[in-house]
Amino acid sequence: MEIKINKLPDKTYVTLNGRIDSTNADQFQNDIFALLEGDCKFVDIDCSEMSYTSSQGLRVFLLLQKSLIERHGNLVMRNMNPHVKEVFDITGFSNIITIL
Amino acid sequence: MIKKRFNPITDKTSEIVAFLMTSPDIPTDAGLRFKIEISVEEAVENVVRYAYEGGIGWLEAGTSLDNDSLMLTIELRDAGVPFNPLEMPDPDITLSVKEREIGGLGIFLCKKMMDNIEYKYENGNNVLIMKKKVNE
Repeated sequence: MEIKINKLPDKTYVTLNGRIDSTNADQFQNDIFALLEGDCKFVDIDCSEMSYTSSQGLRVFLLLQKSLIERHGNLVMRNMNPHVKEVFDITGFSNIITIL
Repeated sequence: MIKKRFNPITDKTSEIVAFLMTSPDIPTDAGLRFKIEISVEEAVENVVRYAYEGGIGWLEAGTSLDNDSLMLTIELRDAGVPFNPLEMPDPDITLSVKEREIGGLGIFLCKKMMDNIEYKYENGNNVLIMKKKVNE
């Protein structure tokens, strides 16, 4: 899993590349939570190169969205492949995260 | 059944998943593989994390394919604390983001992605049997 982060004044852009699974979920959580340092409210994640996520990845996305909503912000995830999208649909995450 | 016993299993989830996913019984179709892999990873991770005190113990993982019905069977067996994951309540997926609880998604994903899951406690072992029709 490779994470690229581009912090702009009003929004943080993230690009994910690869898999989120049991081998890297803890590191992924640390990397994502680092986004919340400062007053970051809006996060926009490009998932076009994210090939897989287990429930441990979902857990991190849920925690991120909970934090952003508390700050009156929002999490947007875009360009998911259909397999990953199905995981978000089945778990109801498509209703609590803005999927574009 | 093609099977292998892993011992110890601490931090071995990816190795056990890789063993199962490279079995010749597993289909080549990408969509099916995704569903099977996520189910296998969630079920294996459950055993690796929670079955044994301190993670010291074994897990036997196997696959078989019925060539007539094209039903794939994945079986996981361990001698850890008796635990039926199918008794875990499903998460309420209609809740708002504030109300959603963290966790409980792994076994739920298995239930949704596989066609059938059974659990039994047999000779001191937890046995989880997951089935998926693999005609493509």
